[in-house]
Amino acid sequence: MLQKLFFGNLTLDSIPWHSAIIMGAGAFMLLSVLAIVAAITVYKKWSYIWHEWICSVDHKKIGIMYLMLSGIMILRGFSDAILMRSQQAIAAGTHLGYLPPHHYDQIFSAHGVIMIFFVAMPMMFALLNMAIPLQIGARDVAYPYLNSVSFWLTFVGAMLCNASLVIGDFANTGWLAYPPLSGIYYNPGPGVDYYIWSLQISGVGTLLAGINFIATIIKMRCPGMTLMRMPIFVWSALCAMILVVLAFPVLTVTLALLFLDRMFDMHFFTEFAGGNIMMYINLIWVWGHPEVYILILPAFGIFSEVVATFSQKRLFGYTTMVWAIAIITFLSFVVWLHHFFTMGAGADVNAFFGVTTMIIAIPTGVKVFNWLFTMYQGRIILSTPMLWVTAFFTTFAIGGMTGVMMAVPPIDFQVHNSLFLVAHFHNVIIGGVLFGYFAGIIYWFPKAFGFKLDEKIGTWAFIFWVTGFYFAFMPLYVLGLNGFMRRVNHYSNITYQPYFIVAAFGTALILIGILLMILQLIVSIKNREALRDKTGDPWNGRTLEWSVSSPAPLYNFAEIPTVNSLDPYWAFKQAHLAEGRVHPRDMHYHDIHMPKNTPAGFIIAMFFGLLGFALVWHMWIPGIIGFIGMMTAMIARTFNTDTDYYVNAELVKRTELAHVREMI
Amino acid sequence: MRKLFYCLILLAACFTLAACENHFIGMLNPKGWIANEERKLFFDTLALMLIVVLPVIIMSFTFVYHYQVSHRIKEYKPNWAHSYFLETLWWGIPCIIIVVLAILTWKKTYELDPYRKIAGLQQPLLIQVIALPFKWLFIYPEQNIATVNYLVIPVGQTVEYWITADNVPMSAFFIPQLGSQIYAMAGMRTRLHLLANQEGDYDGLDTQYNGGGFSDMHFPVHVVSPEKMQQWIKQTKMSTHALTDAAYTSLLIPTINNAPQFFAGVANNLFDNVIMTYMNALGTIHPRQQQGIVVQSR
Repeated sequence: MLQKLFFGNLTLDSIPWHSAIIMGAGAFMLLSVLAIVAAITVYKKWSYIWHEWICSVDHKKIGIMYLMLSGIMILRGFSDAILMRSQQAIAAGTHLGYLPPHHYDQIFSAHGVIMIFFVAMPMMFALLNMAIPLQIGARDVAYPYLNSVSFWLTFVGAMLCNASLVIGDFANTGWLAYPPLSGIYYNPGPGVDYYIWSLQISGVGTLLAGINFIATIIKMRCPGMTLMRMPIFVWSALCAMILVVLAFPVLTVTLALLFLDRMFDMHFFTEFAGGNIMMYINLIWVWGHPEVYILILPAFGIFSEVVATFSQKRLFGYTTMVWAIAIITFLSFVVWLHHFFTMGAGADVNAFFGVTTMIIAIPTGVKVFNWLFTMYQGRIILSTPMLWVTAFFTTFAIGGMTGVMMAVPPIDFQVHNSLFLVAHFHNVIIGGVLFGYFAGIIYWFPKAFGFKLDEKIGTWAFIFWVTGFYFAFMPLYVLGLNGFMRRVNHYSNITYQPYFIVAAFGTALILIGILLMILQLIVSIKNREALRDKTGDPWNGRTLEWSVSSPAPLYNFAEIPTVNSLDPYWAFKQAHLAEGRVHPRDMHYHDIHMPKNTPAGFIIAMFFGLLGFALVWHMWIPGIIGFIGMMTAMIARTFNTDTDYYVNAELVKRTELAHVREMI
Repeated sequence: MRKLFYCLILLAACFTLAACENHFIGMLNPKGWIANEERKLFFDTLALMLIVVLPVIIMSFTFVYHYQVSHRIKEYKPNWAHSYFLETLWWGIPCIIIVVLAILTWKKTYELDPYRKIAGLQQPLLIQVIALPFKWLFIYPEQNIATVNYLVIPVGQTVEYWITADNVPMSAFFIPQLGSQIYAMAGMRTRLHLLANQEGDYDGLDTQYNGGGFSDMHFPVHVVSPEKMQQWIKQTKMSTHALTDAAYTSLLIPTINNAPQFFAGVANNLFDNVIMTYMNALGTIHPRQQQGIVVQSR
């Protein structure tokens, strides 16, 4: 009885001891963690890690932690991709491959969940944290402590998802867990519960981060920065965060209802007793479609910044850019039904949603032309961020084109759920979102870390990524038109096999690209002195983040800047070019009000993680401990009034002068 | 260099497309009226989209190449960021294309609506389709026969499919070379009209992932002449098996790669009863679980 209360359904048999692949991966994860722990202990860095990172509320450090999380999770998500591509390259004719459906089905579900929730989303928040406060001339986000809570909740969600690899199963339902497959009748195990709770916990984090950035962008802009003087990245982030705030509650409620169905035998989404599976599919896409725009809008913002900077020219059509983003934001909420034209809705409904979907192509096309004409008659420097943008134009044009084609319901009736669809969304999510984020990471890397990434290895990584991408996904278009479906474990028609071998080859090229990126990071860290950015402005930038040192000082701006145009730092440089000086040195320094670090975010998230894990396994006592711990930590924090302090003016002066000295 | 590379990929793709048209078993090699219309629509849409997409791709490469700093182009307008003419142009042209495409879409969505009867002289043949755990059941109610994982249909006659699912999560019924796909959901009936216009053997399949046996949920589709169809019906009617309620219940047990089965005689209103089993079920337990049927193996 007591054992049941403590451990619920969890027994030693829940660990798949006999599966070599899983145990190998688990052992690798465990060894990595142990190695890190050992390293921290040997170098006596626990106090540093705790005080400077885990408790940090500094947006720059939280951004870096988001980036690290995303970097770790992309390795896992990509391992899943390698497993799937090799399985499909082998499993033709009578050969069943090496992954049985039971395992394979979890892999493609985990791949989707990880890539969207724990790679793309953290990478987006990494970029937002790294750039937004600096771009709007603020000292931090509006709610620094909430920012820490958001990050740690996302982290805990990702760890819960990772735990499912070794302890029990992950969902075998596909990345959106459609019922009735995800219902208790067809899926009695812990997999779907892992899915629900890792998404719920990270989803709360995302929602809080969304609120935080909206407040930051609306309230924290420096004097003179009107809405129409915000950098486009800030606009795109604002619109993406509005989508977060409107869409994520839908996800939370939908998953909560699914949880009630599973845990308490309710009938929201059952096939019987008044449940309605179509309701779930509608709700999940009411969140799911805006979600893809949440990812792509910041990427659009990054392209705008990078294109303007590296063309050394003002962004073309700023006003239309803003309107295009706004229109996309609105339209993204009225297209969700195009994900299930084949559910049997009438022609009226299908045609309506088909047309609204196509309309999105108009503002998106406008943005592409604006970028093209930003480059026109510019002076283009082909640094690595710009290379990614160059590749993006073609991949995104192809992806956008196939997207519009699938918006035509009769065409969708043929290619829905096929590899054509898979190729399409990888075309826009890799070729649009990921390429954009890569460009953004390389672009803002010096601002976050103080040194640039190695350009030469970066170029090679880029070449392998892009060619690998085409090899991996173009064959899938042909396969999809040829009636080959997604999520297929093995197939008897061997004429498909050559396409899969080409796709697997492409995956191998991407793998080399990823390895080169890791190498690039290692080499850059090693050569950091040579790559150091002493000026704070390595790319001849246009916006405020380049006006401070790299990495930016703790307080960002010694004096909050005043802005009176777009591209304020560019204008500043132009104005002071004649006088031959870049920074004013005769400044008046004063004390700066800053938030204090706090462990509250970390503690709340850890207890929430315990609660989530307990709910997956029906462990009641740990669940109650998790819930009470979480609530206590939250309430205790509200009584803490010692949350801020002043950075001494002397220290500010010393930091600023050191930067100026380094510059000359 | 990269341009050359892209051209090569494009060429390779064209050659593969041209060389294996006959190997294709999807919409590129249609054998039915709906699939043929969908194929045409596919290429019309592709052409319309290429009006914008091709210039974008070409411009992106030429601009990036031409305006590099190292080329020392004299024209440089760092502050040129607005042009009413150009911006009107690229709001306008996509608008026009999308309007054309929207009209086409609206028309074709009605014309090719799966629920809509296809114009023709003959009465459509009704086939009731039930997605079962990793196999398909086809009931020919007027002929009073049924098959598992084996579909025979006449050429030149519209077939109306009524589709549902039982004891299997949401699935989807699809014969790529004949036309559209549509979901199969327990407790609900979806409908689909297809018209085959060439005799032959095609592949039918489930397109919606529904569990461990998903990959093997294929069935052969034989499109035959009306005479052969009659002959096949006669032959099937001689089967010694009947699809009684008991026989149906045994089909609810999950199987993978189920061999074709043939039944002469079908329990009354079987299709409707299957749907009503779900519509009428109350309580907290799945109706098939209540009947003691094995839950899908995980």
